[in-house]
Amino acid sequence: MSRRAVIAGVGHTAFGKFPDRTAWDLEAAAAAAAVADAGLRPADVDGLLTDPGAVQGVLDGITPHFLRLGSQLGLDPTYTGSEILGGAGSVAIVERAALAVEAGLCEACLCVYGDRALSGAGAYGYGRGDEAAFGFFGAAGLHALAARRHMHRYGTRPEHLGEVAIAARAYAARVPHAQKRSVLDMDEYLASDPIVEPLRRLDCCLVSDGAAAVLVTTAERAADAPRPAIPILGHAQAHSLSTYASPDHFDALPAGRCGPAALGRAGLTPADVDVALLYDCFTIVVLLQLEAYGFCKKGESGPFVEGGRIGPGGSLPVNTSGGLLAEGYGGGMLHVIEAVRQLRGDAGDRQVADAEVALVSGHGLGMNTHATLVLGS
Amino acid sequence: MSAAPTPLAPRPDALTRPFWEACRHGRLEASSCADCGHLFLPPGPCCPRCWSPRLTVRALSGNGRVWSFVIYRRTYHPAIPAPYVVALVELDEGPRLISNVVGCAPEEVAIDMPVRVRFEEALGITLPRFEPLGGGGRP
Repeated sequence: MSRRAVIAGVGHTAFGKFPDRTAWDLEAAAAAAAVADAGLRPADVDGLLTDPGAVQGVLDGITPHFLRLGSQLGLDPTYTGSEILGGAGSVAIVERAALAVEAGLCEACLCVYGDRALSGAGAYGYGRGDEAAFGFFGAAGLHALAARRHMHRYGTRPEHLGEVAIAARAYAARVPHAQKRSVLDMDEYLASDPIVEPLRRLDCCLVSDGAAAVLVTTAERAADAPRPAIPILGHAQAHSLSTYASPDHFDALPAGRCGPAALGRAGLTPADVDVALLYDCFTIVVLLQLEAYGFCKKGESGPFVEGGRIGPGGSLPVNTSGGLLAEGYGGGMLHVIEAVRQLRGDAGDRQVADAEVALVSGHGLGMNTHATLVLGS
Repeated sequence: MSAAPTPLAPRPDALTRPFWEACRHGRLEASSCADCGHLFLPPGPCCPRCWSPRLTVRALSGNGRVWSFVIYRRTYHPAIPAPYVVALVELDEGPRLISNVVGCAPEEVAIDMPVRVRFEEALGITLPRFEPLGGGGRP
C-alpha cells in the first residue's frame, strides 16, 4: 500500500482549569506526547496544522496560530496552516494532514488543538455581529433554536436530550482523565438550570483548558511504530454557509452530505460503524447527527437513544470517553484520540468489543461547518 | 461563560446601512435581485442565488411567523437582561431574520405564531422587533 495516511501517535494534556498554564505550553506538551507515541523525534515532524480554540482563534487575530506554535516548537515544516472552522477544525486538520501526506507534501504531520478557554477570557458568550443587538449570544442560542424546532416537528422531549448527557457522563466515569467523572441521572438532568430554553446547563458542553494532538504519517513510515497505526479509511467535509436562507438549516446538518461521502470513500455504510465519536457541543447536536449519518431515520433520534442505546453496553456506543459534555472541551481532537484508543484496544473498561470501524465528526460555528473521518483498525 | 464586553449596537456598513436607515423610518426592507427577483436578508454584495450585483430594495409587509424561538434565562450582557425571547422570524415574503418577540410573555410564544414588526429604539438605533399579530400589543 503506497502512501495510505495513518494516525501513528496521539497525545493530550489533562483537561480542566489550569490558570497557571498557557495554551502554548499545553499544546507543546500534547505535541510532544503525540510524537513520542508515534515513535518519532521532533526533527521528524515536517508538517504542522493547528486548530486554535475559540479564545485564541477569535481573539488573537494578529499572529497566525500555527506561526507562534511552530516557532515555539522550532519547526521548519514543508506544510503548515491553521483552520478556523469552529468545532469542525480539529477533524478538518486531520483530514488535511491525510491529504498532505498522501500527496507527498509532508511525511509526518502534527495536528494540534489547544486552548485555555476556562482560565482565559470567555469567548463563548460572544454576540454575532448585528444580531447581538437582539441578545442572540453564544452558541447555545443557535442550538436551542434547532432543539426547539426538532421538538416541535418530531415530538422530541427533554428526556431524549437527557439520554445524551447521561450516556456521556456514564462513559466519562470510566475515563481517568475526564473533567466530569460523576454519573448523572434523569432527575438531576431535568432539574438542571435552563440557560437558553429549551437547553439546560447540562445540555451544554464543558469549557476547558487543555490541548490534544495527533501525528499523521504514511502506513509505510509507521510500519515500525511502537503502537498500532490507525488507517484513515475515509474523510469528507460539507458545509452549510447560507445559514438562515437554507430552509432546513437548523434541521438538516451538512453531516448528511459528509457521512455518505466519508463512508463511501471507505466502502462502508453506517451499519459498519462500531463506535461513533460525534461532536457534542450541545446534546441536540448528537441527536441531529444520529439522523444525518443514517444511524436512525429522520426525526427518530429521540426514541432511538431511549433506554441507553448510545451509552455503555448499548448497541451504538457514542462518545465513549464522555466527549465535550464530560471528558473535556478538546475541540474535537479528543474525539479523534478516543477513536484511535478504541481501535487500538486501549480503551480500558470502556472498550467496545471488537471495534474495527470508528466514525469521528466535527461540527462548528453557526451549525455551518462539518467534517468526518472514518478510521479503521 | 462570563458576560464578555460584547459590542451590542449594530454597526451599519455600506451594505447594511440602507436596511438600518429604513428601520429608522419605520420600514422593513429586503434586498431584491433585479435579475432573478430573489428577495433576501441580510443585505450583501450580490444576489446569493444568481450572483448578480444588480440589487434593489423592496418594502416588506412586516408580517411573518415564528419559525423557531428560544428563551434566554441567563443574562449574557447586563444591557439585555433575561428573560427574553430570540426568534428566527420567517417573513411572509420569504426572507428570515433573527429578532425578538416582544409584547407578550416569553411563555406565550410558539412556533408558527403570526407576528408583525414593531420598531423599537434601543442601543442608539431602531431595531425591528416583532409582536404577536392580532394579540398582545402591550406597549
